[in-house]
Amino acid sequence: MKFLLSLAWKNLSRYRRRTIITACALAVGLTLFIFTDALLKGMEKESERNLIWYETSSAKILNREYFNDRKLLTLTDPINEYQALHNVLREESADFTPRIVFSAELLVYEDPYPGDGSLMVKAAAVSPESDDSVYRFQETVTEGRYLEKGEDGILLGSWLAEDLHAEVGYPVTLVTRTKSGYYQTIDMEIVGIYTCPNPYVNRSTVFLPISSAMEYLEMDGSVTEVGVKFPMTADIDKEAEDLRTLINDIFPDLEVYTWKELAPDYIQLAAGKQAGSKTILLLVLIIAVVGISNTMLMAIYERVRELGMMRALGMDDRKIRRTFLLEAAGIGFIGSLLGIALGSLITWYFVNNGIDMTAFTRNMDIGYRTSGIMRPAWNFSTIIISFIAGILISVGVAFVPTRRAMKMEIAECLRHQ
Amino acid sequence: MIQLKKIKKTYPMGDTPVHALRGIDISIDEGEFLSVAGPSGSGKTTLLNILGCIDSFDSGEYLFNGDSIKDKTKRELAGFRRENLGFIFQTFNLIPVLTAFENVSFALSLLEHRDEEIKKQTYNILREVGLEGLEERKPSELSGGQQQRVAIARALVKKPKIVLADEPTANLDSKTGESVLQLMAELNKKYGTTFFFSTHDPMVMEYASRVIRLHDGEVTEDTRRN
Repeated sequence: MKFLLSLAWKNLSRYRRRTIITACALAVGLTLFIFTDALLKGMEKESERNLIWYETSSAKILNREYFNDRKLLTLTDPINEYQALHNVLREESADFTPRIVFSAELLVYEDPYPGDGSLMVKAAAVSPESDDSVYRFQETVTEGRYLEKGEDGILLGSWLAEDLHAEVGYPVTLVTRTKSGYYQTIDMEIVGIYTCPNPYVNRSTVFLPISSAMEYLEMDGSVTEVGVKFPMTADIDKEAEDLRTLINDIFPDLEVYTWKELAPDYIQLAAGKQAGSKTILLLVLIIAVVGISNTMLMAIYERVRELGMMRALGMDDRKIRRTFLLEAAGIGFIGSLLGIALGSLITWYFVNNGIDMTAFTRNMDIGYRTSGIMRPAWNFSTIIISFIAGILISVGVAFVPTRRAMKMEIAECLRHQ
Repeated sequence: MIQLKKIKKTYPMGDTPVHALRGIDISIDEGEFLSVAGPSGSGKTTLLNILGCIDSFDSGEYLFNGDSIKDKTKRELAGFRRENLGFIFQTFNLIPVLTAFENVSFALSLLEHRDEEIKKQTYNILREVGLEGLEERKPSELSGGQQQRVAIARALVKKPKIVLADEPTANLDSKTGESVLQLMAELNKKYGTTFFFSTHDPMVMEYASRVIRLHDGEVTEDTRRN
């Protein structure tokens, strides 16, 4: 074995250029694999975080009827017994916050705006005192200030503000329907502009104090949803089940829905994207495999005579095969080492500096809840798998030409040019 | 030691069969220094390959010390070659990445000798073939004659019963070729190893104690000299 190892190593060093080229082909494939995987993982992790922090919270308590039509944002099936629910949750020391979410037409007029206009928005009436215990909007305010209780102030997302050419202090009008179905017009003043990393929110959601909405929408103390925060490391399904046990008996109309149930579109999209990404990764690997197999094929065929001599001298076919496979494993080892080093280096750089995707996500919906700076996330299992796979792939692609060469008659091998 | 009885070998060449050997009968004794001569296509290399068990034959019998070779498996044949046969090739066939020492010791390492033993025997044989001081040189750093000496050392280091050499001087100039032949003759006398080499060079035949002439796959002459 010592001799075989030494022979394999010497052959690798002798055909240095070929070794380097083959190892580099593998390294490039693995680098792309490691970086793409880290980037997708990073986008997924960030999307999930941005969903929970800015869109769905860990879970929501909703009226069962409301859940089915939740995309319509109607006020017809709210949580009527909110005060009682509030007391139960407070007793449990849960982090929760009420919201009234409704659709509205946002109207702006010439002076101070460049022209008259309107667009449909999602309006979320939030409790300035408790919303930050569940969501993270307060820290996203980039201009002006956060909401105060009882004021007719409104917060706009930065992209929405840009589209409207709106600034802090400008007036806006919301046209919507009350709980009873009557039209209501609410005049408000922009008190702040927030920049939220969740593009779905930043693009079309406005925030106002719940006390104002309660009055204008004639909600009589009811809210459309209660957001609940679970610890980030908690088992969401178990926490949700515990909460269900707590409220189901007292409030049979209400149900607890986890963020996964609230955003099935994202879950489906992530699963679909994962399959697509795996296909891309497979293609990258196939390219690497073709590169390696080509050079391995050349490496073996130009040494058929050497192989014939070894066999003539009585070396076991098994040992000869092992020599060639050891060489392939050596190339795989060097390529894998280079690949994970380069892949890790690129990943490390972008983990620290991020990739600015603002221009890309500003005007395009890519499904992920990320915008601005995207950062890859370390995936150590992928790095280990890549390393092992790199060696196995090299050995695998060397196996077939070696076997074919071993099937040649020894005399034929010795005649080989 | 070796008996070949009515050995026949046919190669297909397209649709036409080529009769390389047409029923060869030869017996080889221990310690012979034997040359097989004949023009190109006479069957010299085929005969050598069959003797070296690196090519099969269609019919006939090959006995080595009374044992038939015909029914041996691939693995048994590899073991047989390892133990009993040494090869010298026209193009030397040294492993380019290994030094002279390593090329020679390679043959012994296949027999799984102890490291000390391998080292001692390799140095001895390299000295015998006149390569003392050149042990660490790679084939590319040696002349053609020196490379063939390494090949001779590799063939002899395991003390085989017979050394098969396919036109061993064909790639060497006449002076170097003669010195290689002298060396082979000396080693034949010293160790009593049988040498069987093919050639079409009359100078090479002069060194042989027995010359077998082949023509169209048949033995036309078998001459022994004193």
